[in-house]
Amino acid sequence: MAVLEEPIKETLVLKNYIDGEWTESKGKYHDIINPATCKTIARAPSSTKEEVDEAVMAAKRAYSEWRRTPPLARCRRLFRLKELLEENFEELSRIQTMEHGKTIDESRGETRRGIENVEVATGIPSLMMGENLEDIATGIDEYLIRQPLGVFCCIAPFNFPFMVPLWFAPYAVATGNCIIIKPSPRDPISQVKLAELVDEAGFPPGIWQVVHGGGEVAQALLEHPDIKGACFVGSTPVAKEIYKKCGEVGKRVIAQAGAKNFIVVMEDANLEKTIPALMTSFYGNTGQRCLSGANALVVGDDKFYKKFVEEFVDAASKIKVGYGLDEAVQMGPLQSKTAKERVLGFIEKGIKEGAKIVLDGRKPKIKGAYPDTCFLGPTCFEDVTADMIVAREEIFGPVANILRAKDLDEAIKIIHANPYGNAASIFTSSGKLAREFQYRVECGNIGINIGIAAPMAFFPFSGMKNSFFGVLHGQGKEAIRFFTESKVVIQRWW
Amino acid sequence: MKLQTASEVISFAVELEDKSAKFYESLAEKFKDYRETFLSFVKENKKNKMLVQRAYNEVISDALETGFSFEGLDTDGYSIETNLSQDENLTSLINKALDMEEKIKRFYLNAAKKSESLLADVPRVFEKIARKRAERKEKLKLLFNPKL
Repeated sequence: MAVLEEPIKETLVLKNYIDGEWTESKGKYHDIINPATCKTIARAPSSTKEEVDEAVMAAKRAYSEWRRTPPLARCRRLFRLKELLEENFEELSRIQTMEHGKTIDESRGETRRGIENVEVATGIPSLMMGENLEDIATGIDEYLIRQPLGVFCCIAPFNFPFMVPLWFAPYAVATGNCIIIKPSPRDPISQVKLAELVDEAGFPPGIWQVVHGGGEVAQALLEHPDIKGACFVGSTPVAKEIYKKCGEVGKRVIAQAGAKNFIVVMEDANLEKTIPALMTSFYGNTGQRCLSGANALVVGDDKFYKKFVEEFVDAASKIKVGYGLDEAVQMGPLQSKTAKERVLGFIEKGIKEGAKIVLDGRKPKIKGAYPDTCFLGPTCFEDVTADMIVAREEIFGPVANILRAKDLDEAIKIIHANPYGNAASIFTSSGKLAREFQYRVECGNIGINIGIAAPMAFFPFSGMKNSFFGVLHGQGKEAIRFFTESKVVIQRWW
Repeated sequence: MKLQTASEVISFAVELEDKSAKFYESLAEKFKDYRETFLSFVKENKKNKMLVQRAYNEVISDALETGFSFEGLDTDGYSIETNLSQDENLTSLINKALDMEEKIKRFYLNAAKKSESLLADVPRVFEKIARKRAERKEKLKLLFNPKL
């Protein structure tokens, strides 16, 4: 099969999208590199504080009219956006592969997940409805109205450059708010393309804006008095800081953070079906997912354990690594050289701690003539114990750790000893064990014979412990609640 | 060549539809008496292509095993012969078409079996097209003896 055509032919110079106009930033520019080819595909700015102010002011101006726009009229823009996203589905997907490195299958999956959020948000006339009850006392009625709040910001991560802002933005604008998206400075092109489609869909100026930059721009947005709330997805230390900062000044916040996800494999699991699911879980998106499997926790006797390790390593060793636009490739590069070096550091730590490396991806075989700058192959450790750094900390790369537990009780204890609580899965043929797992495990997203427990757009993207800071989550009805204030009216007429 | 990813399989299906459509276009040009039949196949191929692409694009999700779904789906068993030489008569070309349709049908059936881990739309579309290919074979056989 062929390598698909690249949609970006020459270096793009990215602009901010403020008040319905594409404006050049006065800030410094940096290169956006395709991690597979190491070619510069764009230059993106670090916007100035003044540019952040401009965006917030534009949103504030737009808000008063937008919130008065009937929900049905607001959602018609989303229907148009959905159509445009479908028309541009392939280009959007290929851009993600170019800027992030993921495979084309993964990029198309990301595009689809993003579109699904737009689809769910088009239901806003029903979703935003309040509640009422007649005669709470004689002749008195009480009802609840959901009202928008104003201007929100979204600080997006690099691992899903297209999808993550769509966990929030469609719901924000559908409920009558305005949103400013700060894409990751590492791969911001998808958000530029998305904003072009937003513009084409006819959203009024100031409703949906894009301001490029890194930590300083995020800081300026979070500190701005006219920003009512923030949505963040990223690392745990930053999520904690944002949660604290927003709490101090009374801003709403959804802060989705890091993870270290356990996959429990019981002795009665159907290994033939389990292994492919685990490949996607551990090595999909090159391990750069907050829902990626990180620790495989095997419950069973020595014979089962040995069989599991053999089959896991055999499947992982066959994964084709290369440029994601090559349709035959199953795993792309890490998103950057720095990301690769970070993962290499963890592999070194694992070896030093005494974990046995049974599959070493440090010198990967790459399909095609691409520089190995950002590539790593699938890596697997066994004889890993829960106290080792590789088992405790988020590696965010294609490294699997295999641990053992004597039974489900011990497996759950190990999971609970870990500070994260994003996702956990169990592979089993026993409904009883699955229910026990679902009932007891303190994680926001549970998979039963599912490697990546990624909630659909109409369910909240949950998370617990050090993986989530906030109350309401992104996506679905919880996003509607997050972006609206509940106002209660009690009325009586004489 | 072994196909492993969903993207590869969809591209291969699209290639089969395009190649066989081109073949029937040439037949329509060459045998005016059967033009309508051959052009109806071309039209159906375009629809099949759209169905396959849509099923994939609408159900694909980054969380499913799309990258690891098709191990063992070998294209070698499904390479189709679509060249038309000037001196080939209708019987020979219909035999060629029957052979091609059989291979395409088998490809879709195999792909349907191997895509069970994906959402049901994908295998369902593969099965549907396999059924249509079987029906087409019957229509082609009728061309040997139009009176039947």
